[in-house]
Amino acid sequence: MNKRNSILLGLGVVIAAQLAVPAWMIIRHESTLREGKVFKFRTQPVDPADAFRGRYVLLRLEPGVVKVTNARQWHYNQKAFAVLGVDSNGFAIVESLERDAPAGKTALPIHVNWTEEKNGQVHIDWTGLDRFYMTEKKAPAAEEAYREHNRITNRSCHVTVRVRGGRAVIENLFIEDRPIRDWLK
Amino acid sequence: MNKKAIQWLYGELPRLVAQGILTPDAEARLRTHYGPVEPARPARLAVIIFGVLGALLIGAGIILVLAHNWEDLSRPVRAVLSILPLAAAQGLAVWTILKRPQSLAWREGSGTLLFLMIGSSISLIAQTYNISGDLPGFLLTWSLLGLPVVYLLNAVVPALLYIWGITEWSCHLRFEDGFAAGYWPLAALLLPLIAIWLRSGRYQVRPTLLLWALCVSVTVAAGVTIERVLPGLWIMLYAGLFALMFLAGEFWFADAEGFWNRPLRHFGAAGVMVLAFMLTFEWPWREIGWHYWYWERIHDVSWRAIPDAVLGSLIPISATVLLVMSVRRKTPLGLLFGLAPILAVVSYALVSLTETYAPAAGIFDLYLLVIGIWLLVTGIRIGKQGQMNAGLLAITALIVARFFDSDLDFLLRGLIFIALGIAFLVANIVMLRRKGASHEQA
Repeated sequence: MNKRNSILLGLGVVIAAQLAVPAWMIIRHESTLREGKVFKFRTQPVDPADAFRGRYVLLRLEPGVVKVTNARQWHYNQKAFAVLGVDSNGFAIVESLERDAPAGKTALPIHVNWTEEKNGQVHIDWTGLDRFYMTEKKAPAAEEAYREHNRITNRSCHVTVRVRGGRAVIENLFIEDRPIRDWLK
Repeated sequence: MNKKAIQWLYGELPRLVAQGILTPDAEARLRTHYGPVEPARPARLAVIIFGVLGALLIGAGIILVLAHNWEDLSRPVRAVLSILPLAAAQGLAVWTILKRPQSLAWREGSGTLLFLMIGSSISLIAQTYNISGDLPGFLLTWSLLGLPVVYLLNAVVPALLYIWGITEWSCHLRFEDGFAAGYWPLAALLLPLIAIWLRSGRYQVRPTLLLWALCVSVTVAAGVTIERVLPGLWIMLYAGLFALMFLAGEFWFADAEGFWNRPLRHFGAAGVMVLAFMLTFEWPWREIGWHYWYWERIHDVSWRAIPDAVLGSLIPISATVLLVMSVRRKTPLGLLFGLAPILAVVSYALVSLTETYAPAAGIFDLYLLVIGIWLLVTGIRIGKQGQMNAGLLAITALIVARFFDSDLDFLLRGLIFIALGIAFLVANIVMLRRKGASHEQA
C-alpha cells in the first residue's frame, strides 16, 4: 500500500470515529426522549437577573433538598442516585438517595452539594439538567416575560424530563402549563 | 552562517565580479561553499495564512447560518444538520489528500476546518438535546477526535488547537477538583510529530510554532496537574522546568537566529527571570516545606500525589543533568540559567529547616542581580540589544521591588528612578550608535 492510500485508510477510520460520536449522542438522547418515562419537575430560574444567559435558560430543578436519615454519610461533590417518585400534584419527588444505581427503580444521577446534619437534609444538584437552549433573541425575551408575569401572579414553571435507564433529557420548559415557545408568541 | 548574511553576500557577488574584485571562479566557489539559500516566499505564507483564516470564517459562518431559524426545524432535522458541516469538512480533507497532498495551504486550511467542525457538531447536538455540564469531557472528546487530523494532514494549526484543547481540559478538570495529570500522556501524543518535524528541519516555521505553544501549555499544565500535597513544590518544579527549557534550547537549537526562532531558550530564560523575581519576595516562602504536608489530601486519595513526586523530581533532575553537560561545554549562560533548580532546592531546604524566609529571598535577590549584570555586560560586549535590555530590565525590576519594600524617602526613590531611566536611554543610544558605526564601516 502506498503512502497516500494508507493516509486515506487512516482518514477513513478517523472519519468514522468522528461521525460516530455525534451520531451516538443523537441515538442515545432520541431513544431517551422517545421511550423514556415522563417526569414533571418544578423549576425556577436561579436568579431572574442572571437566569437567561444569552442562548439558554439556566434552570434549578426542584426538589433541591432531600430528607435523609443520616446526613453524615454524604459529602460535597459525591455522586449519588436520586430515586424518583411522583407527588399528588403530579410533580417529581425524591423518595431516597442511594450510593449505587438501584435495580428496578427509576433513579437519576445527582451530585451532593452540601449537607445539614442537624436537619438531616442533603442539598443536591441535578447533574446535567440545568440548561434549556433557545435562540439568542428568544432567551432574553423569555427572561423578561417570566419576570413580568411572575411579578403579577406567582406563576409556576416546570420542565418535562424523559428518564430511561438512568439517563435524563429535558423535553420542554413550561410556564403555567404552556410550552415556553407558545407562551412567548 | 546567518541566512540573511548569505543572501546579502549572494546579492553582492555579481557586482564584485563585474568590478574585478572577485573572479567568476571565486564566485562559483563561494556559492558552492555556502550552498543554496532558499529565498523567503511571503506569497506562499500569505496563501497559508489566508487559507486558515478562510477555513475559520467558513466554519463560523456555517454555524451562524444553521443557528438562524434553528427553532423552526424539527429536532431530528436539527440533529442531522449538526453533523453536516462535519461531514463537509471531512470531505474537504479527503479531497485535499487526493488532489492537493503537497499544498500546505490546503492541508492547514482543511485540517483547521475539520478540527473546528468536530467541536461545533458536538456542541450543536448538545444544544439540541439540552445537554449541559461536563465541559472537560467535551474538551477531551473534541481534542482526541481532532488529534489524528494533525498527523494525517501533517498540519500545525490543528496541532495548536489540540494543545489548546488539552490545556483547557486540564485547567477545567483541576477547577472541578479532578485529576488532571492525564495532560502529560495526552501531550506526549504529539511527540512523534515533533520528532518527525525536527528531523526534517528544526528551524522551520511549523516546529517553531509548535514549540512556542508547548512552552506555554506545559507551563500552565505544570501548575494545574500537581496536587499540592507538599506546599511550595511549585518553586522547585518551575525552576527545573524553565531551566530545562533554556538548556534544551541552548543545546539543540543553538544555530537559530532571532527571538522568535528560539522558543525554548527565550521562554525558558524569561521563565527563570520572572520566577527568580517572584522568589525575591518573602511570600512564596511562607508556610512551605515538609512541616506543612497537606495531610488531609493525602488521606483522601494518596495515589493522586504520584504526579507530584514524579514531576517534582524528574524535571529538576533532568535540568541538572543538562546543567552538568553545559559545564562540560563551557556555556556561561547555560550555567547561569541552569543554576535555578539547584538554588530553588537549596533555598527550599533552608526554609523548611530553619523556617526563616529572608535567606532564601536573599539568595534569589543575588541570583537575579547576577543574571541581570551578566546579560547587560555580555549584551553590550557582543552587541545584542535585546540581551542588554533584558539585563537592564532584571536589574531595574529588582531595584524597584526592593525600594517598595524599604522605607526610603520619596526624593531618594525618585532620583533612583531617574537614574535607571537614564541608564536605559544611554545604553540603548550607545548601542544604536555603535551598530550604526559598524554598519557604515562595512
